[in-house]
Amino acid sequence: MATALNRIDEIEWERPPLVERRRDAELEAWARAEGLPSGAVTQFSGSPWVARACARLVRKDLRDLDWQVADLTVVVVSRDNACRNCYAASRVFLRIAGLDNAEIDRLEGGLLLAGDNAALDFARRVSRANPPPSSADVKALRDAGYSDAELKELAFVAASYVMVNRLSTFVALRPEGYERAGRTRLLALVRPFVRAWVLRSYHRRHGEVRLNAEEKEGPFAEIVCAFDGLPAGCKLRAILDDAWAPTSLPRRTKALVFAVVARTLGCPRSEREAFRLLEAEGIPLAQGQEILAHLGSPALQPLEAAILPFVRETVWYQPAPIQRRARELKAGLDEEQFLELVGLSALANAVCRLCLVLGQLA
Amino acid sequence: MTLPPWAVAALAVTLAGLCAWLWRAGVGQRRLRRHLEAASRELENLQHSFSRFAPNEIIEEIIASGVARHGERKEVTALFADLVGFTALSESVEPDVLLRILNGHFERMSRAITDHRGYVSTFLGDGILALFGALQPNPWQANDAVHAALAMRREIEVYNKELAAEGLPTIAIGVGIHRGLGVAGLVGSRDLVQFALVGRTVNLAARVQDLTRSCDGDILLTAAVRDGLDPRFALHPMPPAEVRGVEGPVDTWAVARFDSAE
Repeated sequence: MATALNRIDEIEWERPPLVERRRDAELEAWARAEGLPSGAVTQFSGSPWVARACARLVRKDLRDLDWQVADLTVVVVSRDNACRNCYAASRVFLRIAGLDNAEIDRLEGGLLLAGDNAALDFARRVSRANPPPSSADVKALRDAGYSDAELKELAFVAASYVMVNRLSTFVALRPEGYERAGRTRLLALVRPFVRAWVLRSYHRRHGEVRLNAEEKEGPFAEIVCAFDGLPAGCKLRAILDDAWAPTSLPRRTKALVFAVVARTLGCPRSEREAFRLLEAEGIPLAQGQEILAHLGSPALQPLEAAILPFVRETVWYQPAPIQRRARELKAGLDEEQFLELVGLSALANAVCRLCLVLGQLA
Repeated sequence: MTLPPWAVAALAVTLAGLCAWLWRAGVGQRRLRRHLEAASRELENLQHSFSRFAPNEIIEEIIASGVARHGERKEVTALFADLVGFTALSESVEPDVLLRILNGHFERMSRAITDHRGYVSTFLGDGILALFGALQPNPWQANDAVHAALAMRREIEVYNKELAAEGLPTIAIGVGIHRGLGVAGLVGSRDLVQFALVGRTVNLAARVQDLTRSCDGDILLTAAVRDGLDPRFALHPMPPAEVRGVEGPVDTWAVARFDSAE
């Protein structure tokens, strides 16, 4: 039977992957301490913060949102972004959780309760951001009985996979393993033995999670604070702080990546925050505006001049062309710089989309 | 009580018939469901394919209601390119050769446009209308349009070498670029629709393209484009010129090159 999986695996995908899995004892120890499988951090271990961010986002830490809606959000966002790796992996996850391929197809295709269908449409809008979710989309979900906390968690799950999809796609992770696993009937035999372990690793239900005073400060504090009370707030804070710590790319370059994504998406709030971060790194507002006006300026370092045009392409893209652009770019960078650039672009896309949604929730 | 053998046989036949009927009904239902799911997937794939030709919201509207009434006023940069001397060319070569030259030209021009995030809206005879910022918001649309025009110029040079090597006449283009507001949406009849920009912006881009025939510049742009343009583009001011449908003379600039090292 032709399942959705058969169609998406026809999407053109670059080979070989741009990065290879590599074990890192320190990262694996971190993953174990977080209750994650050590394999969760091997793919992007060339840049530790990117590996940790990906592992944190793949696990769903929720307070209110229904598990099935959250899991299906991952499927529809990954499909919308044409991310073969994440799409196949998320279907395998649902199969381990107890659904078969036909059921996943039906649920993904919109055979849920009306409110849950609206939730998946909302998630698609968060991911596409063209146009971003409107107040009417938010009202439709509120009318369907979704609380503001559930709406925020839904937006966070969608935005998480905006980032994870981009990471997986830009480095062209091999999707074939998950695609084969998704088709095999053996998965049903294995399921009883692995189901509890997999669900325990990737589904965490929490109570109210308050941000402490320190967590309410730092890059994009306004967005982080909007998630106060939900596990998403602490998670986003941890990812942003990790990304902002001193690494191979200077902070001004990181702020520029956020500014370019914010400008491309048309998110003035994110752009203001990016300019604030640039000013903290010694780039005055006028100079930041000049750089952003044409993505070129004598004030740019050669590395920045090379990467900014790529960053703008990460907002809306087709997999194979962006993978070819990433491969060209990688030739001029070391592995950590490349992974960081990919990770920052992906993170900026997630954060700016969240900012657009939160504007409608206010 | 025991049933006579003929009654047992009749009951067994009836039961077997009922089972066969249920089985067939189940198979039929499963087949129908498979067809429905396949149709739904096809529709979704079509939606993905069409997203290259119109914004997602318009495609969703068509799928939901069969028509798209949604029009959006947005700022777009229109690039109009036309072949210079096409009439003379069409009279000097065989029809098959003419079409080959024309299609080779369109192929190269379209690539130059899409490589710079433009959307080929339509081919009008030997002309091409491209839009920048129509499908997705694009704050750098003016730069992209002018980069596309320079890429078109380079493509024409390469193409002309190929044509000359075959002993065929070479070609030249004129390009007009203007930025402004227009209404973007699906236009046409029930049988033929296209995503297009309606309004003065497209007309002025076409009129500015006409000016390339009478001035020293193959790529001309208006003040609205120049105002938002990267200063690394080398521009030469042209004498103000009257164009049909516009009150007063229009200021234009000819594009020389892009100084990337500056």
